[in-house]
Amino acid sequence: MSSAIAYKIEHSPAYASLKLNLKPEQSVTVEAGAMAAMDSCIDMKSKVKGGLGKGIGRMFGGESLFTSEFTAKGQSGYLYVSPGVPGDIKHYALDGSRSLMVQSSGFVAAAPGVMIDSKFQGFKGFFSGESLFLLKVTGEGDFWFSSFGAIIEIPVDGSYVVDTGYIVAFEDTLNYKVEVLNGLSFKNLKTSIFGGEGLVTHFSGSGKLWIQTRNVASFVRFIHPFRPVKSN
Amino acid sequence: MKLELLHQPDSAVAKVLLDPQEEILAEAGAMVAMSSSIDVSTTLRKGKGGGVLGGLKRMVAGESLFISVFRSGGSAAELYLSPTLMGDILPYTLSGTELVIQSTSYLASTPGVQIDLGFTGFKSLFSGESLFWLTANGSGLALLNAFGSVYEIDVDGEYVVDTGHIVAFERTLDYSISKANKSWAGAFFSGEGFVCHFKGKGKVFCQTHNPGSFGRMVGGKLPPR
Repeated sequence: MSSAIAYKIEHSPAYASLKLNLKPEQSVTVEAGAMAAMDSCIDMKSKVKGGLGKGIGRMFGGESLFTSEFTAKGQSGYLYVSPGVPGDIKHYALDGSRSLMVQSSGFVAAAPGVMIDSKFQGFKGFFSGESLFLLKVTGEGDFWFSSFGAIIEIPVDGSYVVDTGYIVAFEDTLNYKVEVLNGLSFKNLKTSIFGGEGLVTHFSGSGKLWIQTRNVASFVRFIHPFRPVKSN
Repeated sequence: MKLELLHQPDSAVAKVLLDPQEEILAEAGAMVAMSSSIDVSTTLRKGKGGGVLGGLKRMVAGESLFISVFRSGGSAAELYLSPTLMGDILPYTLSGTELVIQSTSYLASTPGVQIDLGFTGFKSLFSGESLFWLTANGSGLALLNAFGSVYEIDVDGEYVVDTGHIVAFERTLDYSISKANKSWAGAFFSGEGFVCHFKGKGKVFCQTHNPGSFGRMVGGKLPPR
């Protein structure tokens, strides 16, 4: 396992930014376009992680096809990484024993020993307007993920219900099932559709779960009526 | 019931701890996450008066409110509630008093508080957004949300507030809504659509940002729908 990357998360939770301190020849993979500023000794290389096939897989995951690899050349340097949406950033250290499931737009940065796979959810996310596409993160090393709004960590032991639009990440020791709130009966279907309570994800087992305090889909629904109306 | 407000003021979220057989009402869609033992049901609140036709008109105008009731079962349970936009949550305790709430600022309330569609709203001529008001009566706690931070104005006499910045106000105040500018052209060009004139003694809660202005700024840059 490569040595840990020194980091600091600043301006949390509303405008979190990730400041990485790369040692000479140390590398990190960052979401394409998320680099904000860096020392000039850092070299940037765009790449399709895990080969073209997996890159296309990631495209379906709602994640951009390309990630960028940053390497400090000859000396150490600072790299500032900013997610596209204002919110929080959390660090997770993968030790190879368990993997992490991350909401598709939540990827910020990862150490070279970390593998990212988009896992097409297919039927599981089929009914949700807000599709639940998840990245499966495995391997060993540092990983950072981001949210819209603040992040709340919930240690699940037993079962828990989360509105699908508020999921940030969870450990894969948890079982999950996307469903209409309280089961699919007509009455509850009514609650779900008219109630604005979209699909929920039912977690069971024991493991950590991270949720965010704002929902991108709700935000977009707020903006939508302000769009100009087609005149024809 | 215990209430904790986390991550104020930008990303505020309410964590509600319910005792067994307790309930809380919230705007439908406000639920973030909860214990799986909580039971949810949703009802539609429509304005009073105007008969069937009046009720229909209000629904068309968007003047309706879906409220979800979250009820814990035999064991204690927890529930997270959050608003749509970035900003703060304001807890307001009612004790026989009446509070007028801007409809989009309502987040949640305890069962002792009655929420009604208060007085008829009006449609802004310039943006097409409809603005309507809820009244909260009774005793208990109401949770309000703001776009940005909340500030409080103690009115004693007269005060003028842009309608887009009002979160809620105490009903001890008299109010009237009018154009900010005397002439229609002036009202149109100044961007200040409507203002609320307050008279009397009571509190007005304002938000630092105007959701309508923000929506127009972002929405105007998007392709037509």
